[in-house]
Amino acid sequence: MSPTARRPSAFSTDDPRVRIAPELVEEEELRLDAETGAPPPAIVTAPPRRRGIRWGALLWSAVTGLVMLALGVAVTNFVEDLFARSPWLGGVGLVLAVLAGLAVVALLVREVYGLMRLATIEGFRERAQETLASDDREAAQGLAKDLLALAKPMPRLARGRARLEGHLSDIIDGGDLVRLTERELMAPLDAEARRLVSAAASRVSVVTAVSPRAAVDMLFVLINTVTLIRRLAVLYGGRPGTLGVLKLLRQTVSHLAVTGGMAVTDSLVQQVIGHGVAARLSAKLGEGVLNGLLTARLGLLAIEQTRPLPFAALPRPSLNDIAGGLMRQVGRTEGRKAE
Amino acid sequence: MFSNLIEQTRLAALALADFGGGLFNPTVRLGITGLSRAGKTVFITALVHGLVRGGRFPVFEAMSGGRIAGAQLAPQPDDAVPRFDYENHLKALIEDRQWPQSTRQISELRVVIDYQSQNGAMRQLTLDIVDYPGEWLLDLPLLNRSYEQWSAESLAQSREGLRARLAADWHAHLKTLDPSAPADETQAIEAARLFTAYLQACRDERTAMSLLPPGRFLMPGDMAGSPALTFAPLDLPEGAEPPHGSLWAMMRRRYDAYRDHVVRPFFREHFARLDRQIVLVDALSAFNAGPEAVQDLQAALVSILDCFNIGRSSLFSALFQPRTDRILFAATKADHLHHQGHDRLEAILTRMTERAIDKAGFAGAAVDVIALAAVRATREASVRGEGGDLPAIVGLAAKGEVVGGRTLDGETEIAVFPGDLPEDPSRVFDPEGNSFRGLAHGSAQDTDFRFVRFRPPALERTDDGVPALPHIRLDRALQFLIGDRLR
Repeated sequence: MSPTARRPSAFSTDDPRVRIAPELVEEEELRLDAETGAPPPAIVTAPPRRRGIRWGALLWSAVTGLVMLALGVAVTNFVEDLFARSPWLGGVGLVLAVLAGLAVVALLVREVYGLMRLATIEGFRERAQETLASDDREAAQGLAKDLLALAKPMPRLARGRARLEGHLSDIIDGGDLVRLTERELMAPLDAEARRLVSAAASRVSVVTAVSPRAAVDMLFVLINTVTLIRRLAVLYGGRPGTLGVLKLLRQTVSHLAVTGGMAVTDSLVQQVIGHGVAARLSAKLGEGVLNGLLTARLGLLAIEQTRPLPFAALPRPSLNDIAGGLMRQVGRTEGRKAE
Repeated sequence: MFSNLIEQTRLAALALADFGGGLFNPTVRLGITGLSRAGKTVFITALVHGLVRGGRFPVFEAMSGGRIAGAQLAPQPDDAVPRFDYENHLKALIEDRQWPQSTRQISELRVVIDYQSQNGAMRQLTLDIVDYPGEWLLDLPLLNRSYEQWSAESLAQSREGLRARLAADWHAHLKTLDPSAPADETQAIEAARLFTAYLQACRDERTAMSLLPPGRFLMPGDMAGSPALTFAPLDLPEGAEPPHGSLWAMMRRRYDAYRDHVVRPFFREHFARLDRQIVLVDALSAFNAGPEAVQDLQAALVSILDCFNIGRSSLFSALFQPRTDRILFAATKADHLHHQGHDRLEAILTRMTERAIDKAGFAGAAVDVIALAAVRATREASVRGEGGDLPAIVGLAAKGEVVGGRTLDGETEIAVFPGDLPEDPSRVFDPEGNSFRGLAHGSAQDTDFRFVRFRPPALERTDDGVPALPHIRLDRALQFLIGDRLR
């Protein structure tokens, strides 16, 4: 042993130096006191910086700046015009301009907050992956506490939260704690997410099957997908604004493109449903089913983008879970149409 | 060769019977072993109690997810094996707040778990818990060793290091023996007695040696005094054959009897039929004693693991050769140190079992290493000191423990800082034996580690009976051992 090693020693419990309360509990109380519902700023992970000048971003920033300037000048000129015409008209114009400016600022703040929140959730997912690999107890404790804070406003998680809080002072290893957190906090949300995706998919397939024009389908599919992504993000604790939803949509679609639009497990369903059933029914119906399946797959990918934890302990929802309900739904519609 | 064939046939027949039964009534045979004082009895008691009464097992998914409807004790399958005395052990633990008496022989307990599978079907899993002393495992290598080989090995071992001092009496007697002289029963008894005394001295707390075959000499059970246990190694000339009627011939006959009537049946009826295995290791006692004890423990673990018939069970192997497909090494009494030290304890145990783990991993068995306390007797605390806070544990020290120069009466609560385990596990295994100081080296004041024994925790009784026992990672052990069978 090195000479710096600490010697074993024993103390009476009356000794004033002995603090029996485990430090874990103290820490937890502190954190809960300071907790105000918003995620602690320290956990917002910065996106990885790219080297060099990002010309695209520069272009957009410059153009946006120009447009804003033009807008500002236009509004200023307009208000000045109004003042020149009559003072009270100018006053009203000024008030309206200020109100509009305030609203823009508020919207911007909300968008930025939404984006930060999404980044936070993405950070949770990365931390969970790391902790599952490293089995680090401290990191898992921190993650579980942050997720508890995130889940605080979700009433359906009250029971899971209480149970998880009870287990925080137990000695549980990092990986196990992450899985436990996932089981306690994510299970009810996963069920709801599955329902949302399923409902959206069947809506899309029904509308596609009965709609008269392709343009209508496309518009509906777009709106439906955006709503679905937004709802999923809200369900899992994000509060995305328009920019947030766009970001998620972009991530999801690019993910869809990367996976070739088709996972291995999906291909079977696709084969059976696409060729077998759909071909036998009307072409329009087959199209509806395919659109529905596409929505379902988008929804499943969106779940992975919005969920604060990776699927480690709970089963990943599969297309089969959702396609079954979809087929029944479309079958029923077809029956009704036939009548 | 021929006896080997018969043995294989018997094994296959037993396996076939097990497999047939397993089709209709899924059964897991869980082997629980560890060298004596490793905490087997406490582990089984806590495990059964947790299953039957519903413990606080967040990591054990089937239970925390609410899929286990209930678990009951059931009559065990093997009528010739003693039953694990669960009720009395639990009473000792909860009412008397004493650790239960250690078991001296093999015992069995059957627990039937009613559960709902993840896809919704109601199912039943039968868990057969087989408890046997780890010393018996050390006998398994004897199966393919002759008396002469064993004799030479034991003698060589007893002349090394610390053991030479303990074996002095026996060595003195050994010098007076002539292997070729006519057999004399009193000489044989005396030799066996002195040999046993030497083995027992090695087990003392101050030395805590582990590698001590034959195991029944330390745990004779109902065989005490029988000729099969009355033999000892002799100083034999190499390559010679024993003269007819000599002491050598008698010792050899008895050694063969021990092998055929004690070791082989154990292997056939119990060991070869295990599906899952947990090996409990009391590494902390070895740290108390000193580097020799740690080295010795490692050697014992390696020789235990060589016996495991490890490999993933397939249909073929289930029919003809049952294999253990999951092995868990657990460093017990993890509540004797602060949880910050658990990772280091696990690292040290991993290092001890590295060879075995490589081998098992190669053969397809899953192996895990954890630090575990089946019943947690302490709470954690921190003590403010000059060089920062010391992570300490608080509990009711066992009666007779000497801490800081005073002997405790078993009613005083103390806070203990047991010493820091080294960050680099290889530092414990210094071949020179100078890596740290233990009890075997001198006074109790001067050791690098001092792991104090504690009494079982006080439990508040609720109206509906006994509350769950506190534990550390028992749920993780359960999840690893049977979690996959409760899917």
